[in-house]
Amino acid sequence: MSAVNKYLLAAAWMLAATVPAYSAETVLRAIRVQAHDASGLLDPGAAFWKNAGPVNVQMLPQMVAKPANSSPATKSLKVRAVHNGHWLAVLVEWKDPTRNDRVGTDNFGDQLAVQMPVQYSKDAIPGPMMGHPGARVDIWQWRAAFQRDLEQGEHQALGVYPHAIHQLRDLYPNAVVDLYPDEVLRATDARPYMGALGVDNPISHPRRTPVLDQMAEGFGTLTVEPDQDADGKGVWRDGMWRVVVAHALSSAEPESDINLHPGGESVIAFAVWDGGSREVGSRKAWSGWVPLKLAR
Amino acid sequence: MPKVYNWQIGREMEFPYEGVRPAKQFAMIMDTNKCIACQTCTVACKTTWTSGRGQEYMFWNNVETKPYGYYPLGWDVNILSRLGVQQMGGPVYTGKTLFEAAPEGERILGYLPDDLDWAHPNIGEDDSTGLMPQGAFLQTPHMQWMYYLPRICNHCTYAACLGSCPRQSIYKRPEDGIVLLDQRRCRGYRECVKGCPYKKTYFNPMTRVSEKCIGCYPAVENGRQTQCTITCIGKIRLQGFITTPDKAREDNPMDYLVHIAKIAKPLYPQFGLEPNVYYIPPIHVPPQYLTQMFGWGVEQAIATYRRAREDKKLLGALLLFGATPDIIHHYKLEGRHTIGYDEHGGELVRVPLREPIHVRVVYDDRHQTYRSNIT
Repeated sequence: MSAVNKYLLAAAWMLAATVPAYSAETVLRAIRVQAHDASGLLDPGAAFWKNAGPVNVQMLPQMVAKPANSSPATKSLKVRAVHNGHWLAVLVEWKDPTRNDRVGTDNFGDQLAVQMPVQYSKDAIPGPMMGHPGARVDIWQWRAAFQRDLEQGEHQALGVYPHAIHQLRDLYPNAVVDLYPDEVLRATDARPYMGALGVDNPISHPRRTPVLDQMAEGFGTLTVEPDQDADGKGVWRDGMWRVVVAHALSSAEPESDINLHPGGESVIAFAVWDGGSREVGSRKAWSGWVPLKLAR
Repeated sequence: MPKVYNWQIGREMEFPYEGVRPAKQFAMIMDTNKCIACQTCTVACKTTWTSGRGQEYMFWNNVETKPYGYYPLGWDVNILSRLGVQQMGGPVYTGKTLFEAAPEGERILGYLPDDLDWAHPNIGEDDSTGLMPQGAFLQTPHMQWMYYLPRICNHCTYAACLGSCPRQSIYKRPEDGIVLLDQRRCRGYRECVKGCPYKKTYFNPMTRVSEKCIGCYPAVENGRQTQCTITCIGKIRLQGFITTPDKAREDNPMDYLVHIAKIAKPLYPQFGLEPNVYYIPPIHVPPQYLTQMFGWGVEQAIATYRRAREDKKLLGALLLFGATPDIIHHYKLEGRHTIGYDEHGGELVRVPLREPIHVRVVYDDRHQTYRSNIT
């Protein structure tokens, strides 16, 4: 990165950190709910969300790193938070007239990212744009395409190729292919013919949850964590996405995961990609930090 | 944006990264006059590298008919029309490169093809520019014309795919200049598919990350030419390493053909990527079209090519095409032969400059029979 870019990045971050988008009383308060495990927190339609006061979050275009899209589709989010003493769950709702959960060359998927500092201290808050060197952030990214994989996955798991997360005919119903290497080779021998799947790229690999647990220290450094401590569920209905993203309050990886406790506080930020507008990667809408307080 | 020197356009230009040239640069020369579009190269590449799921539509190597063949549909006319009319003079190109024409907020001027644009790999096959009128006769350049353009990734010195990727998932190998896309690091943003004007990166919808031609690097690392080169039945290709013009070595056949004889030209040099696949232009095609496609100097290249049989050095380099599966680093003429050598000076192949001719008598005494020409 050139010195100029670094300067711009630092300037933009300072500006973003000081923009008074939220008044002092705008705090996202995570109420405590009774749920034995994380799965009890994941339903976007659960009754307890009504008790969690929503915060409206203003979304801004990402304009610091190229390529940039100066007018992303999503302008604001409605956010609520709950915790059960072990897991934090955030419900994010936003308007999106199209459900984009199929990915092809010219098809992009809807996505949501929730970001928190790994180490929170009032005096040293990481840059809201994916952190900065020495100030790591934990980023949980929900993808509509992963959600679709999981929902379609039940019957596919019974298919002939259980390792294939989704099938060509899902995208191209009339496709005809004689033979694939993985039909005639042993699994290990077929790996070189499987591209990114053969080298276990986490984007390609079959997933147990629709949320990627990741960390970053600035643009271009996003890294999927070896242990995945995030979960979630998204539902699209009537032109609206309702997505729950949840993460353990603490984990065995304090270097890359958040470390929170009931009664504690931190900050939280969001990014959204509208697949229908071909938003992907750095072409996104993002928010500044929103203060977060956990009920005891 | 840093400035880099692009010898193909004879000047410095903008590129997202500092210019660092590899120790050696992978390169290929294709003689379009010899290509018959048999697609043996395409199939060799396909069966070697892209037989997996999500790769069904991918042809890292393809052969298209010009002017009306495209894979993907309209790839070159689409980006040419977006770039707009530019001043196409040489040796210093004064028009804009794709990096210099980048819109606000973008790293490069590009476009993302539609999914269906990849669905017709053989569209326009054998289509000529028009019909021959009554009474037409053959002249050069031809009144109506078509020719075949075989294409692989150009392993550009200033690769647009590499420059477009916000994650630095694409890298140029310092040892041989082959441009690779890291299958572990890529997250499928498709900025490279959008940025590469040659449309030689491909999105895999099954793995959801992008892929591209790997220059057959396992073969190249072992001194062997690529699959598309060694399977070519028309012997139209030569793959080796090229140096910059200021360091051109006369005994390197790639350098000789590109820098000294100047008969092989890059594909759309005005884009500014310094592509490393070079084409001997088709002799029968009008020079205006060839200038747009291969840059300035095509007429001179064709004139030189047509005199190849009088120029032993040139003939010697051309006869090395398809003569050996190994990479030729040096060559020299010895008597009536051209000899190709490997990196360490070991002889790889010896090709006669003229095919030996055997004249047989018409009447065979031993078998007491007449011979005809075809037996």
